[in-house]
Amino acid sequence: MAENVITFQLTNKMNCFKCFQPKVEEFGAVHSLPMKVIFHLTLCLDELITNIIDYGYADYDEHPIDVTITLLDEELTIHLVDDAEPFNIFEAPEPELDVPLEERDRAIGGMGVHLVKNMVDHIDYKREDNKNILVLTKKICEECCSTKG
Amino acid sequence: MGMIETNENGITILAVDGNLDAEGTQAMEVKVLGLLESGETCLLFDFAGLDYINSSGLRVLVLAYQRLKKASGKVAICGVKDYIQEVFEVSGYDKIFSLYTTREDALSGM
Repeated sequence: MAENVITFQLTNKMNCFKCFQPKVEEFGAVHSLPMKVIFHLTLCLDELITNIIDYGYADYDEHPIDVTITLLDEELTIHLVDDAEPFNIFEAPEPELDVPLEERDRAIGGMGVHLVKNMVDHIDYKREDNKNILVLTKKICEECCSTKG
Repeated sequence: MGMIETNENGITILAVDGNLDAEGTQAMEVKVLGLLESGETCLLFDFAGLDYINSSGLRVLVLAYQRLKKASGKVAICGVKDYIQEVFEVSGYDKIFSLYTTREDALSGM
């Protein structure tokens, strides 16, 4: 049976998208995941890792970012662990979706996080041992792989 | 990521293929800024060959929209895959951009 867990380490010095995207695609292909689910998985990792790298570090050192993706009983779990500054996804500002685009102060701020929240079913965040630990879960049955709208 | 620029009836069409990851998005941003600076006012993004876009990619589209709105210009998008259409819906940008199924529809509708 195909391995239902993949785990890999990225660092803030890498071109992360080019590193993880082939791994996610391969994992998706092996498990025959719908195209849409593979896209959601890739987008979530991309947005979250980009946030970590762009805003997370107060120094210029190399830092590890650990990713584990598990598929169990029609449910995908993404485990993301980093040692960046504390970032609680639930405290991130939402984009001002109701304000006309021309009038938004935070034109795009928070859009990445907003997309992530809509692509998964459940999010857990905790700060432990100076690390951000984010766990995202997503059901992958045909009916529920759409966004929450 | 690949980009092909063409012009039809005064509308500049930018056909984008592959992935708009950080690198691809940066290249598209440079291209779009160049077009805006050269005075283009009608932009059509043909995303029929686009496999991936993220919030940074959307930001470039919004930038084009904001600049062209001031210049009474137009921005439209055509050919997006269904899972990319969803990103436009979740972000609310489907209400801002005219989204067309095909390039022909876009050219006649713009």
